[in-house]
Amino acid sequence: MSTANMSRAERRQARRIRRFDNPWLNPKLIWGASLLFSIMIIGIVGRFLWDLDLVFTGSSPLKLPPLGFENLRGQPGVIAHPIGTDGGGRDMLAMVIIGAPNTLFVGLLASLIGMSIGIFLGFSAGFLGGRIDDTIRVGADVMITIPPLLILVVFQSAFGDVTLTMMALLIAGFVWQSPTRLIRAQVLSMKQSGYVQMAQLSGASTTHIMFREMMPNLVPYLFGSFIASVTTSIVTAVGLEVLGLGPQRIPTLGRTIYEAINAGALIQNLWWWWGIPTLLLGVIFIGLLLINLGLDEVSNPRLRRLS
Amino acid sequence: MLDDVTKDKPVLTLEDLSIEFPTPAGVVQAVKALSLDIHKGRRVGFIGESGSGKTTTALAVMQMLAEPGRVSGGTIDLGGTNILELSEEEMRRARLSRVAYIPQGAMNSLNPVMRVEPQMWDGIIAHEGHLDRAELKRRSDAALASVGLPLHTADLYPHELSGGMKQRVCIAMGIILNPELIIADEPTSALDVVTQRQVMQTLKAIQTQIGSGLMLIGHDMGLMAQTVDELAVLKDGELVEHGTVRQILQAPAHPYTKDLISSVPLVGGESFLSPDARADAPKRTSSEPLLRFEDVRKDYGSVTALHPMSFTLQGDTPQIISIVGQSGSGKSTMGSIMLGFNPPSRGRVLFEGQDVAGMNAAQSLDFRKNVQAVFQDPYACFNPFYRVNHALKFPYKQFGLATSEAATQRAMEEACAAVGLDPELVLPRYPHQLSGGQRQRLIVARALMLSPKLLIADEPVSMVDASLRASILSNIYDLKDKYGISILYITHDLATAYHVSDYVMVLFKGHVVEAGPPKEVIGAPQHPYTRLLIDSIPWPELDRSWGDGRTDWDPANLEAEAARAEAIYRGTVPGFDLIEEAPHG
Repeated sequence: MSTANMSRAERRQARRIRRFDNPWLNPKLIWGASLLFSIMIIGIVGRFLWDLDLVFTGSSPLKLPPLGFENLRGQPGVIAHPIGTDGGGRDMLAMVIIGAPNTLFVGLLASLIGMSIGIFLGFSAGFLGGRIDDTIRVGADVMITIPPLLILVVFQSAFGDVTLTMMALLIAGFVWQSPTRLIRAQVLSMKQSGYVQMAQLSGASTTHIMFREMMPNLVPYLFGSFIASVTTSIVTAVGLEVLGLGPQRIPTLGRTIYEAINAGALIQNLWWWWGIPTLLLGVIFIGLLLINLGLDEVSNPRLRRLS
Repeated sequence: MLDDVTKDKPVLTLEDLSIEFPTPAGVVQAVKALSLDIHKGRRVGFIGESGSGKTTTALAVMQMLAEPGRVSGGTIDLGGTNILELSEEEMRRARLSRVAYIPQGAMNSLNPVMRVEPQMWDGIIAHEGHLDRAELKRRSDAALASVGLPLHTADLYPHELSGGMKQRVCIAMGIILNPELIIADEPTSALDVVTQRQVMQTLKAIQTQIGSGLMLIGHDMGLMAQTVDELAVLKDGELVEHGTVRQILQAPAHPYTKDLISSVPLVGGESFLSPDARADAPKRTSSEPLLRFEDVRKDYGSVTALHPMSFTLQGDTPQIISIVGQSGSGKSTMGSIMLGFNPPSRGRVLFEGQDVAGMNAAQSLDFRKNVQAVFQDPYACFNPFYRVNHALKFPYKQFGLATSEAATQRAMEEACAAVGLDPELVLPRYPHQLSGGQRQRLIVARALMLSPKLLIADEPVSMVDASLRASILSNIYDLKDKYGISILYITHDLATAYHVSDYVMVLFKGHVVEAGPPKEVIGAPQHPYTRLLIDSIPWPELDRSWGDGRTDWDPANLEAEAARAEAIYRGTVPGFDLIEEAPHG
């Protein structure tokens, strides 16, 4: 049957069925990934097309509005600074080009480290059991109850200025607990499964069972957990930055918001100063949420609907 | 064609009923033009393999078909009402009051946080509004009494009940509003034989008492023969044969029905095996016995799963030793102790003179190569991430049997062919694309490739469709017969144990109660527990007093009697030596 003589409804049905067949063609997943991708594109392409020196204080006129708007002084936006400038004479576009990928970078790095710790500890706890399991489980449970922001504020104030990597490392210390617990639980139930017993009967080594038999089946969980911890990491990082902590000399979305609030941007109606970074953070979070929902449907076929 | 049918109006009439499921691969016809009547007071059995459309038909009658299934043609008439035209609300009122559904796993359908009584009241309140408490209590007590449960059951939570009691509570809930039709979907599939007999008796008695129609869904021809009046045989959604049980058992017309009947192994009946003893004696380098239990005991906390047991399996001639018993008898514990998965609490397990618990890496690999297993659940035995050939290829390479990629492939193909599978069709697939029977055969093929000295088969066919059981068992039997592998067959099914084994041990609460050659132990049981087990098996023999609703048949009493009786040893076979337990008391 060719597509030409199918009715509209039939074509729609066929499309749904194809989607059902290949879970990765999930609209939520695709939309979420495109949103995050567009943030990265802004960062990469922007570096070639825009003068990044405009990110320095005093490189541009102060408090210019985006193109097509007027600020309270009656100045119109200019093409040289299409989304305006901030109170320190920095070009907003240049700040976004550098700041947005920085924020994403901190989130990805922190959760990558957190996940690696989580995978290692989760597997050890679930597989080895006994004392090791008790220690890891209690450790993770205790860490979950400690509010990360509190500790991080103390740490950051003690360190003064930190690099992005340093900040990611600090945050990673607070995102390993839930992957640890999740993986431990999965490993415990998988350890009893028939195919792991079969592998034991086949004389497989512990590392083989962990990484060749169990790990592939954990991939959907790992993905989901990774995305969730990226979200947590970014929230934590932005929280610190808005408080004025975190890297002092590297533009990030959170730091821009901090400076806007500090300079009274809300009273002066400089909405683009805090509004644009907030919007971008919103895009990042919506993107992550959609990916998470999409991954849920991939790993859990029951959530997929045919009609 | 059914001459002895009463002339009343049937309680359920299915006419040209067709049900379809649209799937990615096209529309699947789950039920094709099914026409059937169920009369008042009649019991009609729906028998067929999984996927034959029995449960789908039942769900359609309840208007509970899972999305995206739909009735594509025909009518369902429940005592004069066309069910397909009822609105959601009207159907809700018809459920339970006119047609009751007793689902497959009763343990999962009771609410774990509610006592039994309020759960029973729920149904009455939903249909008749709020009645006063005394009236509700009177009716729930009457329902419990009618299924033979003590009245204090009402105040218990589901986890305090045994599987059989839960299933009887579900029956009580189903009949509380005196429905015209009861649908029981494999009501005993999760229960062992003794409880099964008790539950089926209850169901029959209560159905006779309220005079409703019964639609019993199942796959066990023996159970059907003992329970129903009429039988409907379904295959791939088609009704291939319909008639009274007697008619069908004595003169089955359709070849599929004949298969179903002959697939039930009978104690003392004709063997389904074709012995072909051309196996060479297994090549043994050690003069030590193959497997030896020395006072092995296993405790789980304060519960003793296995009382001290000692035996020696010489293994010079291949033998099949059966270990039979109900769930909880300690038979699977024995299996996992032999495999070294579960260390014994006391005593030692020796494999060729070597303690299984204290092996070094090389000995351990040798032990693994020589002691293989077939497990109960063929669905769980394959890693869903890999194609099925991974499960065959990996151990072959791991044990250093593979010389080249081509040799491995050849060995896999030969093993598949030996168990009756087409290697090209099966090997490159993912596990979920294969049926349970195909998977279990692949596990047998895997054991064959490794040619171990000992195979532990733990309920290898209990989760496989009935018509395939005999052929998979004969695959396993061939391992002994043609390839010289000694086998420990762990099962609850005495009839198959009768045919395949050289020696049988009956386990009851961790003790051996009767042991000896199968012809004596199962053919002429002496211990009360063995007799109880054998009496509970439903066989396709019509004139046996199995489910006749006798009230004097009380398994609890019989079990208590069995617990008091001494173990009975019925002779020995060369090569297997069971140390007799000292008489207790």
